Amino acid sequence: MNAMSVTINGKAYGPIEVRDELSMNDFLREYLGLTGTKFGCGRAQCLSCAVIVDNPDGTSETSPTCVIPAASFAGKSIRTVEGHAQNGQLSVLQKAFIEHFSFQCGYCTAGFLNEGQVLLERLAKTQVPRADLDKTILEALDGHLCRCTGYVKYHEAVRDVILSDPKRYLS
Amino acid sequence: MNSVKQTANRTALCALLIVALIPISVTGVNSADAPTTLAAPDSFSNLSDPAAQSAALFTEADKVLSSPRCVNCHPAGDRPLQGDAQRLHQPPVARGSDGFGTAAMRCSMCHQDANFDPAGMPGHAHWHLAPREMAWQNKTAGEICAQLKDPARNGGRSLDDVATHIATDSLVGWAWAPGFGRASAPGTQAQLGALIKAWIQTGSVCPQ
Repeated sequence: MNAMSVTINGKAYGPIEVRDELSMNDFLREYLGLTGTKFGCGRAQCLSCAVIVDNPDGTSETSPTCVIPAASFAGKSIRTVEGHAQNGQLSVLQKAFIEHFSFQCGYCTAGFLNEGQVLLERLAKTQVPRADLDKTILEALDGHLCRCTGYVKYHEAVRDVILSDPKRYLS
Repeated sequence: MNSVKQTANRTALCALLIVALIPISVTGVNSADAPTTLAAPDSFSNLSDPAAQSAALFTEADKVLSSPRCVNCHPAGDRPLQGDAQRLHQPPVARGSDGFGTAAMRCSMCHQDANFDPAGMPGHAHWHLAPREMAWQNKTAGEICAQLKDPARNGGRSLDDVATHIATDSLVGWAWAPGFGRASAPGTQAQLGALIKAWIQTGSVCPQ
């Protein structure tokens, strides 16, 4: 057993006793009731379980949760799909997903949303040339699996958000 | 009577299926015939020709170097292999510029500091691919031997450095504690280290 504390969507949780065998996915869904983070393949192959990890240096990255022990997240700050909307207002990327009908069943959406958000935050710090934009989005979303609408609509939604504010995201 | 016979037949069929499936489900397809032990260096002392003795020592050590636990992360291409069956890694990942994955898919995203058996996920603090020039996949013992002796293909190491690396590196040592569902490398890390040391002391001759 480990006692862990973790910050999720800006809220501190813990210390909470967790078993060594407990995955972060089960911790979020079963301990905290944050069921927006999905359990898909259980092998880190679909990334529907991905959450955002906020690093101390101000950068962010995604991490799967289905194959990672909960205790590995001790002391970290993460964001889940529940943390994107602020004061009842969807984020710009969430709105773009809806406008593009990016998702159908929605099972993969939390993972794509988190990955897209990390990309936006990365580009806000390090812009890319317009010519490299599609390649950059492709590489960022690579690894996330969707079996309903496909990948084009997610791609287009992320691209539209970036192109709507080129000074922020493009060099 | 027919009912009894059918029941007996079904029971026999079930037993056959269970017996047939056990080796696949527990040990994997390719590991049933894999060696599990290593011979000690002393067991090669009866070879009077020092060159033959040295080559035999390396051949024995190659049981480890050619095992899935080593080759899976010494692949011929840019994508690691997985499992005792040595299938291509899923999800599709690439070595990246530093061997630790691409920018958006680092090894450490899934592979933590230690194995996480509930998910069957292997782990180590320095989980990464060996450099491309150290590829061992599809190589013979002689070819791997030549690579290990070549500083251009062994990370600039002397033979003593190679021996120390093999005998003491903790990522190498993971091969003997690979977690649930994966066969351990043959023998122990100490036994492999002893074989490599003896191979060097006998002239570091490569098998043909």
